[in-house]
Amino acid sequence: MKKTMATIAALMMAASGFAQLTGSEVMKKVYELPTGTDQQGQLTMTLVHKSGEKRVRSLQQFSKKTGMEEKKVMFFLAPADVRGTSFMNWSYSDGRDDDQWIYLPALKRSKRLSSDSKSDAFMGSDFTYDDLGERHPSKDQHTLLREERVGQTMCYVIQSKPVNPKDTYSKTISWVVKDVYVGLKKEFYDQDGRLLKVLSVKKYDKIDGYWTILETEMHNVQKQHKTEMKFEHVQYDQGIPDSKFTERGMTI
Amino acid sequence: MQTTTRFYVYMAFVWMYIAIIPKAHSQGLSPIEWTGYLRNYTGVLLQNTSDLSIVQNTLNLNLDHRSSKGGIHVNPTLYQSFDRELEWNLREAYVDVFLPNLDVRLGKQQIIWGKAEGVFITDVVSPKDLREFLLPDFSEIRTGITALRLNWYKGAHQLEWVWSPIFTPTRMPESSSIWAPDTPLPAQVTWDYSAATHTASIENSELFLRYSLMQNTFDLELTGGYFFYDDPALNVQRLPGSTIVRPEYHRVSMGGGSVSMPWKSFVLRGEGAFYSGRHFQTSNPAVEGLHLEKNNLHYMLGVDYAWNGLRLSTQFIQETILEHEAGMLQEAHENTLTVMANKTFLREKLGVKLFSYIGLNRGDALVRPTLSYALDDGMEGILGANLFLGSSGRFGQYNENDMLYAKLIYHF
Repeated sequence: MKKTMATIAALMMAASGFAQLTGSEVMKKVYELPTGTDQQGQLTMTLVHKSGEKRVRSLQQFSKKTGMEEKKVMFFLAPADVRGTSFMNWSYSDGRDDDQWIYLPALKRSKRLSSDSKSDAFMGSDFTYDDLGERHPSKDQHTLLREERVGQTMCYVIQSKPVNPKDTYSKTISWVVKDVYVGLKKEFYDQDGRLLKVLSVKKYDKIDGYWTILETEMHNVQKQHKTEMKFEHVQYDQGIPDSKFTERGMTI
Repeated sequence: MQTTTRFYVYMAFVWMYIAIIPKAHSQGLSPIEWTGYLRNYTGVLLQNTSDLSIVQNTLNLNLDHRSSKGGIHVNPTLYQSFDRELEWNLREAYVDVFLPNLDVRLGKQQIIWGKAEGVFITDVVSPKDLREFLLPDFSEIRTGITALRLNWYKGAHQLEWVWSPIFTPTRMPESSSIWAPDTPLPAQVTWDYSAATHTASIENSELFLRYSLMQNTFDLELTGGYFFYDDPALNVQRLPGSTIVRPEYHRVSMGGGSVSMPWKSFVLRGEGAFYSGRHFQTSNPAVEGLHLEKNNLHYMLGVDYAWNGLRLSTQFIQETILEHEAGMLQEAHENTLTVMANKTFLREKLGVKLFSYIGLNRGDALVRPTLSYALDDGMEGILGANLFLGSSGRFGQYNENDMLYAKLIYHF
């Protein structure tokens, strides 16, 4: 009996050891979560001022992965003064800087942007351009801090410190749903190490077989304002043509 | 047709659209999309603050209807100014047809080329409205031309061919306007506009060609054109007791290109063009008509940088007249610098911008600071100034036109 118990305990320990992922492995799984060949949907951002005043921005988004590249184009729908503006981003999984262009309908031409603007706020929201993209795990050093529950959901808690100390954030802490590898919450710390923003995922679901984050909230705890974001009418693998991600595609 | 009659015909079309849209919608057809803005623009001259230099109300409408096979776009504008007649215009009115790998656009359209900002080097297709110098928004400075545009595309490559049978010149300020440029002409001249137009014909048509490529390492445009230069050459005939000035538009050939590429944290931009057959004014009385045909080079080198929400941009522009001769009014090398800084605050509610042209030959400049505030989504107030420094040159000649202005814009 004693021998049997010892064997079971040893097997459990071995199994536990085998299942224990490192922080890097967890973040790699998050990054490699299947997202289909292409994706489209409508993004609505509600900027909430600390006084409660709300401003709404909406855009149509298309993205496509081809090998090492992910191309994304966004068409701004509202407010009226930015309607018709489009923004295109090409990101690379090998760590190269993104390429970015903006098309302004009043000027009727597209313009290449400096990639250093990735830390700028996106449309005045609490999200930066960088926050909206997928960050390659090689850009950070990851440490698994613990496992804990967020509500009823068991999560890995991962601390990520950037390899480049000049990055926007000094560190982030992510809560990743165990076995699903969807980020449920993320804390962003400024260059002084103070908590700057908290991202909370309010709703996620499987659409067309892919885990998709549908509602989030980014709360700037230092300035006490937040941005609510909804991703609606999401579709995957619709065969978006490559021509969508060209100069012509930005204008049509 | 009289201006008033044309206005009523135009308004009849607008109301017809309004009548048709609900019906089309009820029949399941996709509706025409209406967007645009209403703007009040009021400016005062600093030299004499009792003089309003501009009080203008503008209605700018965009009507769009689009399907996978094509679409239409109509952009009527209405300007009401305190010192001008009511002015309406169709800035654009065209039909699109989308074929496999080929877009066809026919009608009045604005066509913008090149990478330079605030200067026109290869951007020669759409003529300019310079009645208020370079002060209006660039979307208003460029006017539409009636043209057939074919745009062939494959992957990241585009080849654009533009044919325009109707020559449209630059709109210059009236001689009584505060924006009329300095000329060495005597005060009393007789203007002869007999050569100022070219009848619409195949022979007088204009051709433009552009190849463009957008990829991760660089963006490239190669451009060419055979067209009438949009700014007039003044043919000056000095007769005993009088001077006759005849504005003329001459054919030129242009070849050039532009490139932009990322480099570290910067975007580098360049644009250049060679013009053959341009005409330049001279004061040499031995020259018939006081203008000379010369070739010239025009190019720009620029760099953009963004850091922490601050966008900076500068451009060096040089215009060179080849085989320059003594007496020519324009120097052999005209050098200009532009500087732009732009930052937003309060989650893009407040915007601060500075744009400046600096004439390096004469040390003159136009400095344009603006402060904008989003009163609500789509409603914007702007306070700005146009400050002219120097006493001569392209900008210094307007040193008595320093101006403060306010704009209130409602987008819908």
